[in-house]
Amino acid sequence: MRSSIRESVAAEPIGGRAHWTRHVIRHAGIAGGVLALIVVVALLAPLISPYDPIAQPDIIGLKNAAPSLIHPFGTDSFSRDVLSRCIYGARVSLSVAALATAIAVILGTLYGAIAGYAGGVIDAVMMRLVDAALAIPRVLLLIAILALWNGLPLWLLIVVLGATGWFGLSRMVRAQVLSLRELDFIAAARAVGATSPRILIRHILPNVVPTIIVAATLGIGHVIILEAGLSYLGLGVQPPSASWGSIIQDGADQVGSAWWISLFPGLLIVTTAIACNALGDALHAAFDPRQITGASTEIDS
Amino acid sequence: MWRDDVALTILIEDPLKLPAISMMHTAAPTAASRSAATRNEGRLAWPRSPRVRGAAMLIVLATALACNGERKQGPASGGTLVVSTASDADYLFPPLIISTQGREIAEQLFEPLANIGDSLNVFGDAGFTPALADSWTWAPDSLSIAFHLHPRALWHDGKPVRARDVQFTIALCKNPDLASPIAPLLSGIDSVTIADSLTPVFWFKRRSVQQFYDAAYVALIVPEHVYGAIPASALASSPLLRTPIGSGRFRFRRWVPNATIEIVSNRTHYRAPARLDRVIWSIAPSDFGAAATRFLAGEADMFAAVRASMLPQIAKSDKVRLIEYPGFRYGYMIFNMRDPASPSSPNPLFRNVQVRRALTMAVNRASIVRNVFDSLAIPSVGPTVRAMATTDTTIPQIAYDPQRAMQILDSLGWHPGPDGIRTRNGKKLAFSIMVPSTSMDRQSLAVLMQDQFKKIGVAVTVSSVEPNVFERQQHSHKFDAAIENWNADPSPGGIRESWSSAAAHAEGSKNYGDYANAAFDSEVDSALSAGSPPVARRLYSHAFQTLLSDAPAIWLYEPRNMIGIQKRFHVAPLRADAWWAHLADWYVPENEQTARDRAAAGDAPAGADSTAASGNK
Amino acid sequence: MASNRGIVGTVISRLVQAIVVVAIVTTLVFVLIHTAPGDPFAGAMDNPNVSEALRARWRAMYGLDQPLLTQYLRYIANVARGDFGWSFSMHRPVLDVLKDALPNTLVLAGTALVLGFAGGIGLALIQATRPGSRTDRTLGAGSMFFYAMPDFWLALMMMLIFAYWIPIFPVAGSVDPIMHEYMTPLAALADRLKHLALPAITLALLSGAAVARYQRAELLRVLPDDYVRTARAKGVSERRIMLVHVLRNALIPTVSLLGLSLPVLFTGAVFIERVFAWPGMGWVILNAVSTRDYPLVTAGVIVAAATVTIGSLLADMLYAVVDPRIRGR
Repeated sequence: MRSSIRESVAAEPIGGRAHWTRHVIRHAGIAGGVLALIVVVALLAPLISPYDPIAQPDIIGLKNAAPSLIHPFGTDSFSRDVLSRCIYGARVSLSVAALATAIAVILGTLYGAIAGYAGGVIDAVMMRLVDAALAIPRVLLLIAILALWNGLPLWLLIVVLGATGWFGLSRMVRAQVLSLRELDFIAAARAVGATSPRILIRHILPNVVPTIIVAATLGIGHVIILEAGLSYLGLGVQPPSASWGSIIQDGADQVGSAWWISLFPGLLIVTTAIACNALGDALHAAFDPRQITGASTEIDS
Repeated sequence: MWRDDVALTILIEDPLKLPAISMMHTAAPTAASRSAATRNEGRLAWPRSPRVRGAAMLIVLATALACNGERKQGPASGGTLVVSTASDADYLFPPLIISTQGREIAEQLFEPLANIGDSLNVFGDAGFTPALADSWTWAPDSLSIAFHLHPRALWHDGKPVRARDVQFTIALCKNPDLASPIAPLLSGIDSVTIADSLTPVFWFKRRSVQQFYDAAYVALIVPEHVYGAIPASALASSPLLRTPIGSGRFRFRRWVPNATIEIVSNRTHYRAPARLDRVIWSIAPSDFGAAATRFLAGEADMFAAVRASMLPQIAKSDKVRLIEYPGFRYGYMIFNMRDPASPSSPNPLFRNVQVRRALTMAVNRASIVRNVFDSLAIPSVGPTVRAMATTDTTIPQIAYDPQRAMQILDSLGWHPGPDGIRTRNGKKLAFSIMVPSTSMDRQSLAVLMQDQFKKIGVAVTVSSVEPNVFERQQHSHKFDAAIENWNADPSPGGIRESWSSAAAHAEGSKNYGDYANAAFDSEVDSALSAGSPPVARRLYSHAFQTLLSDAPAIWLYEPRNMIGIQKRFHVAPLRADAWWAHLADWYVPENEQTARDRAAAGDAPAGADSTAASGNK
Repeated sequence: MASNRGIVGTVISRLVQAIVVVAIVTTLVFVLIHTAPGDPFAGAMDNPNVSEALRARWRAMYGLDQPLLTQYLRYIANVARGDFGWSFSMHRPVLDVLKDALPNTLVLAGTALVLGFAGGIGLALIQATRPGSRTDRTLGAGSMFFYAMPDFWLALMMMLIFAYWIPIFPVAGSVDPIMHEYMTPLAALADRLKHLALPAITLALLSGAAVARYQRAELLRVLPDDYVRTARAKGVSERRIMLVHVLRNALIPTVSLLGLSLPVLFTGAVFIERVFAWPGMGWVILNAVSTRDYPLVTAGVIVAAATVTIGSLLADMLYAVVDPRIRGR
């Protein structure tokens, strides 16, 4: 439900324009900065990380050590440093989210653009299928797929995540393409003799780009949370790779006694998700705050 | 007769140490005593008469109770036990039960003809105590046994137990329409006839050492007048199964699916009602953490699967104690001797005993066991448990010596590459450890071992698979190494099932690694046919020595069976395979009863039994 | 999507579409679940008495050895009669399992929805009356914080803080598993409320944050409109303006949000139910998937999809009824 509202909120203007533009740019700055920081940390993981994330220095003495100066985030039940695991976990979480969103964006844009441009029966059939796919809550579908085909390799997990997340985007793109299709300059292009694919690529898609960018930014935040939840259930990223969600899962059954294992990766997820959302909102306001994309009834959850 | 050399300290405070069912003096059956039992079959020798023995026990019991003097009439009783568990029962109808949880509860509601003794002897009828059957008579040719039912045995709905019920139960269990999992266990029984209304007679196809066990203990008897009305094929989906009617010392009260199962003492039991007023299983479905929390928070009284992470809180609490009881489980990491890629050839890596020994040396077993289990397990000494008399803990183990391990691997030509992993002729020294995804302990062990192997230059991956996949890959020998958790046979000869060459080549065998060593085989065989216990023990020792130095597996841990329970409960001795076996003899003394104990004490009436209120939770 | 045939026509065509969608979903789910690897009788593998032959018998008994198409047709025929099959993992009819789980999810999600919407709208009102102020920005940051949070993590933290560190609430479950049967009606009610509190508050925080953000945007959009300025010129009090004129118009789109929330009612907040061991639909489906309980998973997902479809249908209808601009057509 929240992501359905996500689209709606993204679609609505948020108050007086001038005041908000300043506000938005300030927010975009902070959010963008935070995200950039996290990405940099992830890229420089081998240099920054204080310890080896899989090393088990002292499985008796250092097991489940509380946060201290030498282990700021504490250690887990195998005496591995949680801070180092979180730093390396950023790589997994961010790359999974980014790649899955990229796949979703590509699929959604293509599908929506084709449906919107073709119109008529093709459009109707394609959208009916999307409606059916949207009817199944994404979480349930993912749980069903990942639990039934257990232990998928990482790349396949990314593909599955991406393949289940493009439906809402395709509707948005289709709506935009529908309205763009009727504009004069398209008719002019057709009159000049441009072929349909050419019109699509050269004229229509560039105008859809802002929507896509906003959706992608919001989507990354959404997928990070989704992947974390799935890893928490044991269905997402499989060991030995560790994402933030799997670290939370490591600590979930000791949350009373070794709370630091679950707390810190969770905070990181929240921070990243907030940054993505703020950035997405800011980008949306910057590109076209008045545009109502008709997304208020989308369900992408 | 044997005596256990290892004294199993059972931390109970029960003044009623009933000698007949105490674990302190268990007889580990050997070939010698087994053959004696076989020879004695069919002869009504006085010491062996179950009737007299039963009477003797009752006299002992009565004396002990009289000396106790806690209550004027009847033994002390009362109390409500709440057991926290993470699994619901699948069925409470004995012919269909598969899960342990189902058995735990059904064995309180239903009774077999005779109960197995605490020594878990399954050969002949030694140690068995009367249950539904007061006594039994062997035919001279041992091809039939007549059981004499207790004349006053009643079902929970008041009807009397008759031989017809026994006949019906066995026929039902063997009926293919029901698809009962215990059908194969009854294959030795040809049929059950009725000599008179209280005497069912079991007829066997041939003699076997386990025929009495098969007849008297495998099947819990169910009433024909209740379950006979429905055709077997429709029985599994009948709602009748959710309100079981048996003859046990407890009767069924209610079952709220995935939430609660409640049983109450059967006040009209023909021998003795259960001493506890009620037992409630509080279920946190598939959620071990929640089940543990309920116990630690005091919402539940008992928890049967105590883990290391719970120990600090238990130590802090003054209301809760741990009771240890002997276990027959041990865990080990087995090397697959066959090549998983082409099962008819030997494993290229593990065929070399030096490699196996080196890998064993790389693992600091004591510390990984301590990390995972804290004090709840001890490092294993081999494919055996300390509870068995034949276990020799003085045999030298392969010691933890990673330096030596590295030297051995060096000498074999495995040299570390740039990434630290050893290679030879371009091949890396790497393998994978398979564990079932449902076992947190084994997964943790694998991860710890992975790190220790890495330190000597061996690359190990941990493959966590679903239990049925685990099973399948073991059967088809498609794995490198796997961590097994095995239930030892009380009889030491059971070792052949997993480690002998005969087992290695048998279809469906349990020798998953395909270990075969002729010297070991012959040593075990001699031990089995030894003349006297000390000789047998020495021979077993030799056999183990051979096995241990051959390193077919890395012997990891031997869990200590622990239940956590509130102190006010006085428990009966706990049987190794089933702590719940004597649940009906537990109680809370009157002066220690809490409000919850008393809350429904008056609420366990005769009427409120078979209606299951499956309403809201 | 209003057609020229008016409301009734719209409703009928949407209903037909909804049925088609549910049919497609049923087929997809059925095929998906039956082509997945795994075996519903895998849980029995631990028991050495369960042989391959026995499992083959069970498969035959439940018709699992038939070709997929036969199974599918039989399933459709049964569902039409209201028979959702037999749950392998719970050993009860699937309908019974769903009937037990559904009320639990309704209670949890319903409570959370009421709390969330009330809280969210209230928060939005406060923010909209002083846009740009420190209060507005703080509350805005707060709702952004909860809006972006993963639900399972919030549930874990809530449990940690309010059940472990400051033990005011019970850790899990919907009622006290033991004593509930023996409580007086008043005590039983209190017991239920105590168990409901944490999961409902957690869910309410998450949904309320989204509502607050959306509602605030709506309120601010309506504020500059002409009729508001007229009312102010007429001398109507600021408070009355806010509550009567602005809110009423700003609530209209929120009504459609309410309809969209209906799916949550039936699929359950999966992660929240899991963390708090709340025995609702989400929990049941999670369990059913891991035990390969085909009939239960299929039924659960179908119910979820049907609800989502009905939910969006109701949302559109409600929106059409409430929005005077559409009604006029």
